[in-house]
Amino acid sequence: MPRVNLLKWARLKSPWVLHFNSGACNACDIELVALLSPRYDVERFGMLLEPSPRHADVLLVTGAVTRQCAERLKRIYEQMPEPKFVAAIGACACSGGVFEGNYNVLGGADKVIPVDVYIPGCPPKPEAIIDGIIKLLKKAEKKGGNPNG
Amino acid sequence: MAEVKQKLLEKLTQKLAGKILQVQTTQNGKLFVKVKAEAIKETVKNVFEEDEEAGISAITGIDLESKIGVMYHIRLSGTVVTLKVEVGKENARVATITDIVPSADFHEREVADLFGVTFEGHPNPKRLILPDKWPKNLYPLRKDVETTNLASSLETLENLYEEEDSSEGENMVKIIVGPQHPALIEPEKFSLEVDGENVKKVIPRLGYVHRGIEKATEKRTYLQDIYLVERICGICNACHATCFCQTLEELLGLTIPSRANYLRVIILELNRIHSHMLLLGHTGMEIGYETLFHYMWRDREPIMDIVEMLTGNRVLASFVTIGGVRRDLEEKTTPKIKAELANLRDRLPFYRNLFENDPTIKSRTKNVGVLSKNDALKLGVVGPVARGSGVKMDVRKDEPYAAYGEIPFKMITYDEGDSWSRLMVRLDEINESINIIEYALEHLPTGPYRVRAPRIIPEGEALERVEAPRGELFYYVKSNGTAYPERVKVRTPTFANIPSFIRIAEGGNIADVPAIFASLDPCFSCTDR
Repeated sequence: MPRVNLLKWARLKSPWVLHFNSGACNACDIELVALLSPRYDVERFGMLLEPSPRHADVLLVTGAVTRQCAERLKRIYEQMPEPKFVAAIGACACSGGVFEGNYNVLGGADKVIPVDVYIPGCPPKPEAIIDGIIKLLKKAEKKGGNPNG
Repeated sequence: MAEVKQKLLEKLTQKLAGKILQVQTTQNGKLFVKVKAEAIKETVKNVFEEDEEAGISAITGIDLESKIGVMYHIRLSGTVVTLKVEVGKENARVATITDIVPSADFHEREVADLFGVTFEGHPNPKRLILPDKWPKNLYPLRKDVETTNLASSLETLENLYEEEDSSEGENMVKIIVGPQHPALIEPEKFSLEVDGENVKKVIPRLGYVHRGIEKATEKRTYLQDIYLVERICGICNACHATCFCQTLEELLGLTIPSRANYLRVIILELNRIHSHMLLLGHTGMEIGYETLFHYMWRDREPIMDIVEMLTGNRVLASFVTIGGVRRDLEEKTTPKIKAELANLRDRLPFYRNLFENDPTIKSRTKNVGVLSKNDALKLGVVGPVARGSGVKMDVRKDEPYAAYGEIPFKMITYDEGDSWSRLMVRLDEINESINIIEYALEHLPTGPYRVRAPRIIPEGEALERVEAPRGELFYYVKSNGTAYPERVKVRTPTFANIPSFIRIAEGGNIADVPAIFASLDPCFSCTDR
């Protein structure tokens, strides 16, 4: 019988995600909430929106990082247990978007924390967000090793 | 309308003889009265005596090269009157009006943050919107201030934010909600001081989503600005674009085709429906009724499909532009839109029954977070929050814009003033919005859907209001005759509604806070800009 790493297997089958808005306009956020609603229903992929950073595997960041949010974003990332993954959702989280260069905006999420996948769009459609997270999981499989191997 | 203004002006000139320096009327008849800085308190008092339902719409700061201008936009008798004062740049001081108009509190603090105007006698002159680590005496919206080389490493800057004083008490416990909290989708911090189960004090910390959009508009052309202001808030993006374009059209003296006006009404009402449904579902989540959330959001999806059919995108529409709209409504989509709206209308009695009779909803929202009509007026709340307290206020009725003057609809008000009535206002407004869209589709005029507009806007200033899903949205634009605006001021509905949360929650039960909060439908990306 092949040996299965149960922890890795569970993490990939049911990633717990945490959402943090670091200065978004709400467009990405409502699309993210729409993911939970019956039409998209991400829970069928085992994804669960988790309120605490301590329990989360994947951090979903929306919005450009404002000066006031930057430290908090870093703190949330640091609170998450290893291994952890970050997805930047929307043009603003990817690069700062239209807000790049504003006095209170530092830029994309990667200015503060390491980002694994970038999901562009203004806002990305819910399907695109699901696609991005699935890609992230494939990357996670490589990074964390194949659970079956 | 013109008569009302004429009368008001006559009365004011009588009362304030010698204090008025200049009177201007904008193209669509908005009054701008320049008064002496020393006389501002008295003038505001006089204006407020004119109408007992008067309220402060916004306070705008503006850099006038050698001076700082402060404008008080006062909403009364269905229009807006602006009082202007000018103060020196070096020692910018003006008397506070918070003792006459308590709702001016946040507005004044914002101007103090961004322009460095000291409001003498302000009860709580603390930082409102700028981040904790923002250098002292750096006022980002002043023209001569350079912020591009501001240290991007946060460690080098000093934390200058002073928390409000905590109240004394043996059993006082501080509960901090936010900036990352499961009940808040957006980052904002509220410190609740509780004694046992009772909330004694609420200390808000705004500014987590402050992106400096007002300053950014000055560096972009008017056309680019439309896309920028849409991104102030993703939920009510069409309202922002419409309001901004209306001010520019006023400055240009541009009349837009009536087909464009009807198409604007359609997108604005679609915005309203999806925003209200989003909130009603979210409230379900907050009060522990997750099924309601799933039902509401399932029924909301067809509305998003309609928006996509009409504009090409589900959320950020980029539909409204200067001189009309960017796309025409295709003939073949009309029956689809009508069918989806009819489906939604059929679902509404089910929700009505739920909100009226379901014990969970009733016990969590009825008689919870009561805001009396008097308080609502005093705190200057707008939109469904005001209408839920029996205040008859709706920009669509008071000052019809787009095609609202030609479309019959009811203004929904409830007198109870509790969380339940605020939610019911929204539920009934969904029905009204469906009626409005159907009427607009039936009576959609033929002809062009946009006119070409010049890229350079003539010198001048204009202000416009739009009824966003959360209430009165206010835009002030000053043009200097180039392709770039001199100043754009945005006062969003939630900015006016936040003080009411503090009032309602204080003295209430800690368990009611989420229900109260949700019933106010706060949008912080709007608030902070």
